[in-house]
Amino acid sequence: MKIFTKSVEVKLERTMPANAAAVFDAWLNPKIPGNPWNEAEKVVLNPTVDGLFYWTLRGIGHYGRFTEVSRPSKIVNTWVSPNTAGEESLVTVSFRQDGENTVMTLVHSNLPDTQNGRSHQQGWTYFLDKFLKEFQS
Amino acid sequence: MTDVLTALSHPTRRAIIELLMIKPTRFLDVAKPFNTALNAITKHLKMLERAGLIQREKRGREVFLSFRGEPLKEVAQWVNGLEEYWNTKLDTFEQHFRDIKEKEENP
Repeated sequence: MKIFTKSVEVKLERTMPANAAAVFDAWLNPKIPGNPWNEAEKVVLNPTVDGLFYWTLRGIGHYGRFTEVSRPSKIVNTWVSPNTAGEESLVTVSFRQDGENTVMTLVHSNLPDTQNGRSHQQGWTYFLDKFLKEFQS
Repeated sequence: MTDVLTALSHPTRRAIIELLMIKPTRFLDVAKPFNTALNAITKHLKMLERAGLIQREKRGREVFLSFRGEPLKEVAQWVNGLEEYWNTKLDTFEQHFRDIKEKEENP
């Protein structure tokens, strides 16, 4: 987890032993284990720009819309769950071919009350910054 | 958690929290710096109390308000939980490709 002055985001990077197109396609295929739509109880998935998705696990719904679908390099979708307080967070997944492998980067950003433009002291991240060390100790 | 985010979404409530972070304060002293009606401050305090961000303590005849950081821990845990969620997903996703590669190399 990274805490920035204006926002909180989760950023992860992995190297997948496959080409970028295969990894890209697998990310959007609910039958492939490890993508967000796999193992859901119900899935509605339309991975095109402005296409929507909905999936539910243990009765908890997640939904959003795709804002960028650029095969094989990038997928951007909004992400709304009960924990995002009704606001759209943003999931950006990038695929970069590196020899026979693909470097995959996932960034989950714009978490609640952290929209760009709000100042440091205008959201809960300010308080989170202040107290995180105490809670982690 | 939504209560906490909502409670912190208003500048007056954030200012009250800032004040109470320094030290426990009497209700009237909390209201003093704000050019707002007392009942408006009371409403803000109720919202902060409902979110668990402040608590009341009676000392003799006076009621002191103080800050509670615990609900913010919940928010921090949620962000940590989100990181764990994606980590687990990507572990599984990576393993899927490793399994395919292994089958190709050792048919």
